[in-house]
Amino acid sequence: MEIYLPIAQMSVHWLVLLGLGGAIGFLSGLLGVGGGFLLTPLLIFTGIPSAVAVATTSSHVTASSMSGALAQWRKGAIDLKMAAVMTLGGIAGTFAGVWLFAVLRRSGQMDVFISAAYVVLLGTIGGLMLRESLGALRAARSGGSTPRRAERPWIHTLPFKQRFPASGLYISVIPPVAIGFAVGMLSTVLGVGGGFVIVPAMIYILRIPANVVMGTSLAQIIVITAAATVLQATNNHAVDAMLAAWLIVGGVIGAQLGVRAGARLRGEQLRMLLALLVLGVAIRLLYGLVATPRELFSVSGS
Amino acid sequence: MRRLALFVLLLASPALATEDLVSGLSQDRIEIRSNYNGTDIVVFGAIERPASEARPDVVVVVRGPESDLRVRRKDRVAGIWINKNRVILHGMPGYYFAAANRPLPEIAAEGTLRQYGLGLDALQPKAMTGPHALKPFLDAAIGIERKAGLYAQDDDAVEFLSGTLFRARVPLPSSAPRGRYTAWVYLLRQGQVIDVRSSELTIDQTGLERRLYDFSQEQPLAYGISTVLMAVGFGWLSSLAFRKS
Repeated sequence: MEIYLPIAQMSVHWLVLLGLGGAIGFLSGLLGVGGGFLLTPLLIFTGIPSAVAVATTSSHVTASSMSGALAQWRKGAIDLKMAAVMTLGGIAGTFAGVWLFAVLRRSGQMDVFISAAYVVLLGTIGGLMLRESLGALRAARSGGSTPRRAERPWIHTLPFKQRFPASGLYISVIPPVAIGFAVGMLSTVLGVGGGFVIVPAMIYILRIPANVVMGTSLAQIIVITAAATVLQATNNHAVDAMLAAWLIVGGVIGAQLGVRAGARLRGEQLRMLLALLVLGVAIRLLYGLVATPRELFSVSGS
Repeated sequence: MRRLALFVLLLASPALATEDLVSGLSQDRIEIRSNYNGTDIVVFGAIERPASEARPDVVVVVRGPESDLRVRRKDRVAGIWINKNRVILHGMPGYYFAAANRPLPEIAAEGTLRQYGLGLDALQPKAMTGPHALKPFLDAAIGIERKAGLYAQDDDAVEFLSGTLFRARVPLPSSAPRGRYTAWVYLLRQGQVIDVRSSELTIDQTGLERRLYDFSQEQPLAYGISTVLMAVGFGWLSSLAFRKS
């Protein structure tokens, strides 16, 4: 049965929608990321206009993050104060993102910009994660402990210090706000939750303990993607609620299955899987930018 | 302009006006529901008072609501392909289908086809904006719309059921834009247009899809917030459902 999507103005088979949502949900449950960075390109590949794909993916990420965050909340693994501080920067970032999104859409360079941004971002993060997880795997095999990184003193020289008891930190609010802003903007322009950026940033820059990182990032991703959805709806009329509903139903089921599958794998293995996936997407997108396209022309309505 | 040309033609040749057409559509309103996956309409008609035993030619053209098409061409800049050149084709149909009973070039001369806009080769924008030559961009746009199923031409789609009765099946894909469509039926003899009839058709959303679309356009803030609440609700429900199992 085909489902007509009223905003995208086209029909897609319901199994495709449920399957896409489910596959992305499974990965997000397995690897602890929202999966938006995979869902947006896949939706565009299905023929959904890129503006609708980006805007609608945000609400899918809201749902899967909500599901994950509640599980973390029960474990007491959310630093609400940190999440709130990052969200402040994030909301400002979302406004900047919606503005940038509209500018790019008008200039006709949106697709190229989105691909290029993904390549840089995913390539960098995937590479770093792969190196880190390979190192951890090797260390685990040789029986040694993971080498500790040296403290970065510059973070501690910034003003406006605050205590974050749940994370056991006493740091300036500037880095969390700045990270929140960058991720909020990214989230809106690319239709991603930003978990794959925010988790490494929280671990390596803010040095938040690993046990609260996941829950805290999920909590603030809920707010950021919710804000992105509302702003996309008001500014660009690009959110397709029908598409969102089908993706979300598939996604939340897939996510819970993914969490179960993930429980059987080790942390380093999961991180390496995620790193390979991220690098794979980056290479595919890079190829798309550099290779001579089959169709040089493109058409869009007014 | 096409209508004007026809009017002049009809005035100038009153003798030919005795042979004429009646035509109609199988549906004058298509409602998009949740399981809409495109549809076919049938344009049918009859030739009244045929002027001779020889079968005349019939060309059917269905045009969707007009809009501006932005056509972009990618060029390699510093190793990557970016959209560099753009033209806007004004007043292009959102959907275009031409059907005939035999190949269009056999029916009439190129000038006539162009004058009445018969066939994809005769499709022209009302105007264009952009510092480039029209032809490559127009050809590319038509090619892309053809691949999307929005522009089509079928030289055998007009079927004669008898000497005077004919019909043509018109495929409307689900991506065909909403709005008013016009189906034109042209009657030709020896390369000359003798008569033309038009019928109107509307494609519109209905039911839940219509309400969702209107909601998103008229109250975008409430629409966005509702979408978020739905997402949050689903996330919460799923975590409840799976905690117990």
